Amino acid sequence: MDETPLHILVADDNQSDRMILCAIVKKMGHSVCEAADGNEAINQFLEHKPDIILLDVIMPNLNGQQAAKSIKALAGEDMVPIIFLTSLQEASDLATCLESGGDDFISKPYNKIILQAKINAFSRMLKMHNTLQDQRDVIRENNEHMRHEQQVARAVYDNVAHSGCLDLPNIKHMLSPFSIFNGDVLLAARKPSGSIHILLGDFTGHGLPAAIGAMPLAEIFYGMTAKGFFMVDILREINIKLKKILPVGYFCCTCMVNLSFRRQEIEVWMGGLPDFGLYRKETGEIERIKSNHLPLGVLSSQAFDADTATFRFIPGDKLYMWSDGIIEARNTEGELFGDERLFAIFDEPDSELFFDNILKNVNQFAGENGRDDDTTLLELSMVDESEIAKVDIDLSSGAVTGPTDWNMVYTLRDETLKTFNPLPVMLNILNDVPALRNLSGQLYTLMAELFSNAFEHGVLGLSSDLKKTADGFAEYYRLRNIAMESLKDTFVKFDFDLEPLDKGGKLTIVVEDSGEGFKYDNNNFNLKSEDNSAYCGRGIPLIYSLCDSLIYFGKGNKVQVCLSWKTQLEE
Amino acid sequence: MSHLNISQIEELKDIMEDSFGDLVMTYLNDSDTKMMALKEAISSTDSLQVAELAHSLKGSSANVCAESLSALFKTVEDSGRAQKLDDVSQVFEKIEQEFLLVKAQLQELQ
Repeated sequence: MDETPLHILVADDNQSDRMILCAIVKKMGHSVCEAADGNEAINQFLEHKPDIILLDVIMPNLNGQQAAKSIKALAGEDMVPIIFLTSLQEASDLATCLESGGDDFISKPYNKIILQAKINAFSRMLKMHNTLQDQRDVIRENNEHMRHEQQVARAVYDNVAHSGCLDLPNIKHMLSPFSIFNGDVLLAARKPSGSIHILLGDFTGHGLPAAIGAMPLAEIFYGMTAKGFFMVDILREINIKLKKILPVGYFCCTCMVNLSFRRQEIEVWMGGLPDFGLYRKETGEIERIKSNHLPLGVLSSQAFDADTATFRFIPGDKLYMWSDGIIEARNTEGELFGDERLFAIFDEPDSELFFDNILKNVNQFAGENGRDDDTTLLELSMVDESEIAKVDIDLSSGAVTGPTDWNMVYTLRDETLKTFNPLPVMLNILNDVPALRNLSGQLYTLMAELFSNAFEHGVLGLSSDLKKTADGFAEYYRLRNIAMESLKDTFVKFDFDLEPLDKGGKLTIVVEDSGEGFKYDNNNFNLKSEDNSAYCGRGIPLIYSLCDSLIYFGKGNKVQVCLSWKTQLEE
Repeated sequence: MSHLNISQIEELKDIMEDSFGDLVMTYLNDSDTKMMALKEAISSTDSLQVAELAHSLKGSSANVCAESLSALFKTVEDSGRAQKLDDVSQVFEKIEQEFLLVKAQLQELQ
């Protein structure tokens, strides 16, 4: 016998029949327990957990059919084959046996070979059933384990790829998770200058593989934004990172936006995403912004193109960003929602309704079953900066003491000026001074303005007046590109001087550029100009408001600002 | 003429080994008791009881290879189920004779 020994219950009220059956079963190598009626059969089943039951139909007290029903109910998910012992011939009697849970019949006189065949068949079936049940339990256990892991991973993920400042009053957003982890990422953060960085990413695929890529992406986005890096630097860094860690064929369709309140513009880099909509309050029209790059994580660092497009963005203007899940939502006929339906929503005269209308239309179109991709939607409105909370940047660092008495000169020449943003490097050094760390937002704005004045207006010789009109705006950037190409023997030189004072310190910054300078009046910087919210300007009133003194020298290509502070004793 | 199926009884002996004697004794005692009960059920024309007892005896007799005896019990069972006990007494007499012969042959085999 090639089968594993089983435990078999023989229930028959006729003692001689029971003896024969038991003898046959034992001869086959199985073990046996016995019952003389239905009640005993149930008790023996509970006590001995037999693998197979041979059950006589006609028995005193409780008959075989009643016993079978109880036993099947007690067995639950376990498989307990019941073979009825019967010489009943009537079809209706046999049917009743099947209904009560019988799996097979054997009739008297018992034939050893037939019985053996039946027991062997059920033995194989049992083995298969048990294997299936074990595998199901393993799967269930694994599934449980995986869900738990995913929940923990989700908590970690949420800490890293948190939504930043998406709760700002000028941002409306909707993220629909297709699974615990979805392939869409939506991040927003304030720069030290108060500008907002927004990143919408759509990773290939869903779930864990997509989420894994989102973690370094978010880490870089938040880390570099807080340190004041430019958008293009951040994109480069993310691209290298994703290229390095993602398998071939995995990448992240991305759009990153830098909204500058003071400059009243948005700078956009878009790769691999469907057209976005830019709503103009002045004309009531919707402009398309197109992807002109490959997704992040595809190109090598050398081939990566960080060119951005800049758009005028004045209060009332709105930018709409979405992942392709919106356009690819399907209705019951399998039709796509599509770009045309999406842009038609902007025909509505009230721009306040756009966001909700997009969601409503897509949901109505797709119904219950249409969601087969992650859908993300974001509306970014231009408002006056005063409507937005102040930047709260955490540059927490363990060091309490730091350099307090030093001087540094940092000169940037042609090639560096073309490609490099010196602000993070300089701010990093300044932030080593504990007292300056508390002023980092103010310091960033100050440095950004000083550098922009020296480079854009000084070295490149661009006039800020140009940016006052929409046409001039484009012209400004055209001229800027031309001027950048022909840089020769140019420089911007920073001279930092930090000296300790009694209970405090003083930072003096002198910035000199190779440009032509401009007409200035050292006694008239504190202009409470009505034009302060205009598109441009040299931001001199702003600089003036941030420091203790501001002095221009010579032809206007050299400026000195001073910033002093008292040490707070609590710190 | 044999009252037992000879080839089958050899197989049964083979299966039961040392317990064959016990089996014969159990069968004979059990059948004695049940036949007495059957006789009583026939005289009190309890058709249901007649059918059930005859059914049990039919099965156990078949199992000890007493084919003719089993067939006689089947006739009684059928009559009991049909609730026509008119001719059953006659059949029962045949059963008593056949049972004695089966008994003798089984005891001989031990």
